[in-house]
This record gives sequence, structure tokens and C-alpha cells, in this order.
Amino acid sequence: MDSDTDGVSDEALLSGMAVGDDRSGLTFVRRYQRRLFGLAVGIVGDVGDAEDVTQEAFIRIFRHAQVFDPRRGSVSTWALTITRNLAIDSIRVRRGVPTDPEDRVFVELMSTARLPDAAALASENVSNIRSALGKLPVDQRRAVLLAALYGRTALQISEGEGIPLGTAKSRIRLGMARLRTTINIEEAL
Amino acid sequence: MSEHIEDPTSCEEFQEDLTAIALGTLSGRRRSEVLRHVESCPQCAIELEQLSMVADAVLHLAPEEDPPIGFELRLARRLRADAAPRQTNRFRRVRYLAAAALIVVIGFGVGALVGSQNTNNTSQSTANLASATLSSHGQNVGEVFVSGGTPSWMFMTIDSHSWSGLVTCELILANGKVENIGQFGLSGGYGSWGAPLTSRAGQVRSARLTTASGVVIASANFRA
Repeated sequence: MDSDTDGVSDEALLSGMAVGDDRSGLTFVRRYQRRLFGLAVGIVGDVGDAEDVTQEAFIRIFRHAQVFDPRRGSVSTWALTITRNLAIDSIRVRRGVPTDPEDRVFVELMSTARLPDAAALASENVSNIRSALGKLPVDQRRAVLLAALYGRTALQISEGEGIPLGTAKSRIRLGMARLRTTINIEEAL
Repeated sequence: MSEHIEDPTSCEEFQEDLTAIALGTLSGRRRSEVLRHVESCPQCAIELEQLSMVADAVLHLAPEEDPPIGFELRLARRLRADAAPRQTNRFRRVRYLAAAALIVVIGFGVGALVGSQNTNNTSQSTANLASATLSSHGQNVGEVFVSGGTPSWMFMTIDSHSWSGLVTCELILANGKVENIGQFGLSGGYGSWGAPLTSRAGQVRSARLTTASGVVIASANFRA
């Protein structure tokens, strides 16, 4: 049904959406709904809430397709960032205070024993990122994931983990610095 | 880099804050101060850019997962609501999205749901697509779609914020006959479901959901 748009780049699809091309919008939704929903459900935990978050993310993407600037990053990162921010907002609204994430995504990413999802890691670049994360000391990995995925500040992490604020800041900073030197950033995204 | 006049020692004090900005966890006045420094410091600008790429990269690790059945339909409905006040040509886009989503849901999702494999009539289905708002006590709680073709199909989505448990779907036909289509579960007022029809789609006048005790909790009327 979408054969004429299946091979089109993300950027081209956004351009099509911006001028009201129906097939571009449909193809974009089909291409990204599993990724955005996977991230959303990983952060908020609840399937219904995750669907709300994912749908709101798509609405914003449709709404702002015409102002997307490819010089500032990839479409996939843009879409995932929108979803991540909405998911964090959703948690804040519903729970008021952050709770300890014990969801599947967090637990799997914390584990170095296995990759989280074969389909998600089909790309070698994504696999490299996962590998780099797995090489971090556990404390740093946890701090980086709490901050990057769940939007936790250093203060929230220090309170949640029961560690001094300075220690939380160091774990985040050192973890991020190590990731930066381990992965080939230019190829990673 | 001769234009870089910042004292390197002053850059060190920004390291943790650059990381926090990249992670999106720094806000307020401090964020403004750091970004002001970044504007005049090429080294910190590069540092921030690379840290931001790392933070973005982590987002790509989340495993993919299928959203619930009916996701595209519900998305189409929200897109339509979002587009309505603007009166733009998004209407066209949303209608297409809804119709195209229905093709897939009816042709594949529902077919899998009921164990039937009938995907040859998708074009017929969209050619005879009817929808009606599912309402309860005057409130819009969902949508019901009926498609033509052989067989005809029905799909509904409901988000009532109330009922949970097993509900029965009944169709009222033009001849007054009531047809029991089947049962499905609502969780926290939320659910979506579909099934093939034994009657022709054009005969359907209304649909309703009832509890196990026969109480009608929501209904939808189609135009004759």
C-alpha cells in the first residue's frame, strides 16, 4: 500500500507531511510507531499511558514537520527526544515525584549479560552504543540511564540512590565522558 | 582557535553543567549562564554538542514494541481533533490515515484476532466504510467502524475512564434484529476490539455495549 513511500528518507517524509502529503504521514507513522511506543512504554510503564504519550508525540511531529531542521540532528533522534520528554512529563504529572524505575527497559539496559532486543539492535551502530554502555561501571551506567532516559537531575539521583550530590554528579559526568570517548559519535546516529 | 579567549580553568567549572544541559536536566538561570559561556567558547560548544549526541544515542537503545491494536485509528482520531480548529487540509490527510489504518486493522489485526484470514476484500472495505461515535450519557467515549465487503467487519475503540471487565457488543439491524457480535474486555475503561459480521454492513443501524447483567453502557448510531 505504501510501496511508493517505503524507501523514502525520513527527511523527505517530513517534507511531504509538511505540505499535506497523506502517504508520507502514513508511512512515517508505520515506520516509527514501534520505536516511539517502545521508548514510551519503557519510561512510563503503563500501556495506556504509553499510547497517550506516543500519540501526542506523533501529533507534535505532524504539527512541527515543517520546522524540522536536519542540521540539528536526525529525524529519529528528534522523534525519540519528543517522545522521551512527553513520557517524563507524563510521569511527573501522574506521580508528582520520581520513583525508582524497575521497568523492563531499564533492567535490560542495566544488564550487561544480553542485548535488550534483537530487532532494536539490528543496526551495528546501535549495538556499539549498547556495548559502550555495558562497559561503564554499574554505578555510572545507572546514573547515565536515570538521567538520559528518565530525565533525573543529579539531585534527584542523589536522593533516590542515597548518595551525596557530588557523587551523583561525578557518576553522571564520568559516565557520559566515557561514553563519548568509547563510541564513534559521528557514526552512532 | 585564536579567537578562544576563555580561561581554561573557567571552562572546568562548566563541565558538569554541560553534561546536565546535554541530558536536558538543567534549567533556569544557571542554564542561561552556561549557554552564554558556550556562545563565546568554541571548546565548550564542541563539548556540549558531543555530549548531546551521547545523550541522544541512549534513546536509541529502547527496544521496539508494538502498540496496542487500534493504535493507528485512535491516532487518526486525535490528529483529526488536533486539525479541526485550524481548518487546514490536514482533514484530507487524517481521513486517509484513518481509512488506511482500518484497512490494516481489519485486514490483518482483526483477522489475526479472530483467527480468520480474509484479506482479499480490503478495497471493498474502505469503499464502504462507515463510522459512528460511541457515546455514553451524552459523552463521547469512542468510535465504531463498520466496513462493507464479504465478510463485513466491525472495529471499535473505547476510552471511557470507568468500566472494567467483560462487555458484550450487540448490533441492531435495519429489520430490528439484534445481533450479538461477541465479547471483549475493558481495562480501566480502555479497550479496542473487532470482529467479522454475519450481516451486511449496510444493515447495521446501531451498535451498543452491554454489561454481563444486560445494562447498556454505551451506544453508537449509524445513519440509515
